[in-house]
Amino acid sequence: MIERLRVATILVLVLLGLFFTFVSTTGVLRLPDVYSRAHTASQADTLGAGFTLAAVALALGWGTTSYKTVLLLFFIFVTNPTAAHAISRAADEEGIEPWTTDDDRTDEDLLDASQMETDGGDRRGDQQ
Amino acid sequence: MSDDRLLVPVADTPTVRQTVESAVKTALGDSEGYVRFVYVHSPDSSREEEDPTVDPPVKETTEFLNRVVVWARDDAGDREGDLTVETARLGFDDYLFSPEDVAEVLIEDGTAHDVDRVVLDPEYDPGVGAPFLRPLEYELAKFPGLDVEEAPVQARARRTPLLAGSTPIQAGALFFVSFAFYQVLAGTLELFDVVTGAVSATIVAVGLARVTFHTDPTFASLGRTLRLVVYLPYLLYEILKANVQVAAVILHPRLPIDPRLTRVRAAVWGGLPVTTLANSITLTPGTLSVRVDGRTLTVHTLVPAAREGLFDGGLERGVRFVFYGRDAMQIASPRERNDTRVLQPPDEAETTDGNDSEGDVAKLNETGGDGANSNGGDSR
Amino acid sequence: MTPAFLTAETVTDVFLLAAAVFLLLAVAMFYRAIRGPTTQDRVLAVNVLGTNTVVVLALVGAGLGEPSLLDIALVYALLNFLMAVAISKFTVDRGGVL
Repeated sequence: MIERLRVATILVLVLLGLFFTFVSTTGVLRLPDVYSRAHTASQADTLGAGFTLAAVALALGWGTTSYKTVLLLFFIFVTNPTAAHAISRAADEEGIEPWTTDDDRTDEDLLDASQMETDGGDRRGDQQ
Repeated sequence: MSDDRLLVPVADTPTVRQTVESAVKTALGDSEGYVRFVYVHSPDSSREEEDPTVDPPVKETTEFLNRVVVWARDDAGDREGDLTVETARLGFDDYLFSPEDVAEVLIEDGTAHDVDRVVLDPEYDPGVGAPFLRPLEYELAKFPGLDVEEAPVQARARRTPLLAGSTPIQAGALFFVSFAFYQVLAGTLELFDVVTGAVSATIVAVGLARVTFHTDPTFASLGRTLRLVVYLPYLLYEILKANVQVAAVILHPRLPIDPRLTRVRAAVWGGLPVTTLANSITLTPGTLSVRVDGRTLTVHTLVPAAREGLFDGGLERGVRFVFYGRDAMQIASPRERNDTRVLQPPDEAETTDGNDSEGDVAKLNETGGDGANSNGGDSR
Repeated sequence: MTPAFLTAETVTDVFLLAAAVFLLLAVAMFYRAIRGPTTQDRVLAVNVLGTNTVVVLALVGAGLGEPSLLDIALVYALLNFLMAVAISKFTVDRGGVL
């Protein structure tokens, strides 16, 4: 009975993991700009990976290998948001403007705009 | 030379306090002394966009120079009467672009005030370009009749030998943690693992103890760890709740998002608490910390509900609980403190701020409706 | 679902099947990595791809009974993080992203 419960829990966890990873993938493909994409890339993906790794840890049982899975889970929870922060901060430093609903530009227009801005700044610097 | 006359360029560096002390000591020597502290204004690259005629730094600079004078009087102690202190702001109406320009202004001011020595703060950098100190020293040295010396300060970030600045407790704690981690990965407690683990942990402890700890780990941090264990389930619950919300938005055919950049001045202080808060914010779906400057977090929010949650400050309260204990949870939320701002677009700040949660749902649907044309663009 | 279905063998199958789906989702991420348009978009896509790879490694390790794959997953997770931070840092002229 307990064994069956365990297997059922594992199945549910794997399904949840797949669902949230699917959400994250959809988000990264669908959302309009790099900042919104960073949301799902860091969060839904972290949760998806977390659920799946929890399933793996549960399947491996109490042993020498399952604590490695827990460690892996911990790493992903600490590093994924940090990486997303670094990426979005890099985008901000490059001068890429976040997209808003009343903005009819696409992500490529926003990139072009940021590059024009950077070039302009350089030209101003050269004249000095 | 009985009467030392010093010129000291100052800026807000970690070592400015020690530089002032050393300059005062040198100036007093065995008789009367004269110290002239100058603050060199320079075009800060980050202020490029602001209106130069307003110039908000003036007040700050004046305050800073006043502080320097107080320090100098303090250091003079009983011999305060022997010390003459003057302050000045330079480069105010010039456009200083390079170390040469700064050196020129300094020399001009120094000659006008009959100064015979310049004391440099090793961390000094008025912001015209890095690296700054060497070129400045070089430019100043070209001018005859002016001694240039570097203030002998201790707390330097660079050029420190290994282990300097870290205590045995810090190195020991780091050794213990890395050794334990190594053994966890190895999985067995064989002689080979113990020996190689000890060697690796020693290397890590010697090399990185200064980077890892700012202060000695204490038992207070143990209590903090316990409170962190209480905080984690709450964080996990928030993550789950918000993830479901955002998943619904992303899988919605019309993609009803309303992204906005916001700014929050968080009521947490210090590096580790702010980092914890920023990471928690990023982990919670719908909010992503883009930039952290001191206590000010620039947060990108995906949906209005996430924005409201951020302004209600639940996570902030949790982080305060972890680092400052139960009492600190009483502090008002960012919204009540008026520490929140919606940056994009600025004119809509009030309307978005004032919404209650029902209003947000309505707004969300409405956004989905008129966002249809932009949505067509996204599915390219 | 009959109770007899819930056995240890199904877990192995489910893990391998899930690994395949994760792989498909990771491949979908190549669209963003190639398309961009910004460097940050690409880094982001590769980062998500890396996280998916870690999960696939863990699933395959558990499914095939190869615990050594978990060590590889651990190293891969750390490298993935370093990659994202390093590239973010070096794509910005002024540096200082973290």
